[in-house]
Amino acid sequence: MDIVIDNLPFLLKGAYYTLLITVVSMFFGLIIGLLTAIARIKGNRFLRMIARVYVSIIRGTPPLVQIVIVYYGLVDYGIELGPLTAAYIALSVNIGAYVSEAFRGAIQSVPKGQTEAAIATGMTERQAMRRIVIPQAIRYAIPPLGNTFVGMLKETSLVSVIAVTELMRSAQLLVSQYYVYMPFYLAIAVMYWIMSTVFTMILHQIEKRLSVY
Amino acid sequence: MINIQQLQKSFGELEVLKNISLSIPDHQVVAVIGPSGSGKSTFLRCLNGLETITGGTITVNGHEISMKAPRKILQREIHAIRQETGMVFQQFNLYPHKSVVENVMEALIVVKKMERGAAHKIASDLLSKVGLAEKEDAYPSQLSGGQQQRVAIARALAMEPKLMLFDEPTSALDPELVGEVLKVMKNLAEDGMTMVIVTHEMNFAKDVADRILFMADGVIVEDAEPISFFENPQTERAQKFLRQVSEF
Repeated sequence: MDIVIDNLPFLLKGAYYTLLITVVSMFFGLIIGLLTAIARIKGNRFLRMIARVYVSIIRGTPPLVQIVIVYYGLVDYGIELGPLTAAYIALSVNIGAYVSEAFRGAIQSVPKGQTEAAIATGMTERQAMRRIVIPQAIRYAIPPLGNTFVGMLKETSLVSVIAVTELMRSAQLLVSQYYVYMPFYLAIAVMYWIMSTVFTMILHQIEKRLSVY
Repeated sequence: MINIQQLQKSFGELEVLKNISLSIPDHQVVAVIGPSGSGKSTFLRCLNGLETITGGTITVNGHEISMKAPRKILQREIHAIRQETGMVFQQFNLYPHKSVVENVMEALIVVKKMERGAAHKIASDLLSKVGLAEKEDAYPSQLSGGQQQRVAIARALAMEPKLMLFDEPTSALDPELVGEVLKVMKNLAEDGMTMVIVTHEMNFAKDVADRILFMADGVIVEDAEPISFFENPQTERAQKFLRQVSEF
């Protein structure tokens, strides 16, 4: 227990990176996911196909493989990314696929009458999408997005393999220094659990706030 | 106002509208009645391009919907028609995430690029006109069906349409709420609005409409003034329909 407390600053720094990677990847994942969802619903045949293939590949391959491809694989083509940048890219692209599925379901659960009412007042399809459909879809999307995000928080532990010193790798470094396993791994398990729980609570609050009407 | 030539509409194999031709002059109030499944709602929805037609032409206010036109032009014409046409739906279709006054303001801001202040003023005036001045800040879910439908009418009127389409506006309402909506519609008719109303309210049609279109099986079976239609229907189809609705 004492060695955990002694090394707490180091672990907290790792937790900071875990949070940073989660939030940054979520942010870009949301943008990628929203665009992909719109491409799948409203795009022409070409865009729809691209979006479908993207989602299919991401969902059909392990995130660990995606991460090493971005970090190590791209080096073969002269693209050398820093570990943190590679982590952002791999995880944003990964989560974007899951976000797009959440958004797609949500957009489709907005009744068709909403779009009809909007275009009947003279809005274009695009305006109706942006002003009427998407704001409502976001509300439907929040529960599945919440699950995706908590999943993402845990998935960030995978980037430890490309030498990003986030929470998982912080523990691994301490383990190799002190040759004891349980205290450090248990400590980070607790820290992941606390972060997931706080995330979930925040999401519940957002959900509540958005369901005023 | 409206001129329809040989309008056809099919859903796949099913022919829903068969060769409909008619015109509707300015300020006329037309009630479209008939048994369910006769194509009334589809007919109405063709008028502002919510349904794509399969054949023929529809001209509203000089803008033409024709399948012969190139896609770009067709879209522009439909868009022009929608800007001059208000529509009221059976299920109200208010925006649930916006307050009552925002529902009415929305198109003014998005389509007419109006400033919020000016849009708010117009929306407030319209809401008083439909008797809902005190509900401005409520959300649709807090209103009764009748109130929601009156907001929907105000929302359609905000764009200053030259034509109003009503798709069974009272069919989803509890009986005691029907009157308040019909009253707003009657006022609108008295102000000279051109209106096409798909309805099951026979008394309202008799009272307010200038003209009855009786539809069955995708065809306009009778096109007559209300008095002659209700007192002296010409076809057996119409006689049977009127007998059935009066049995209640």
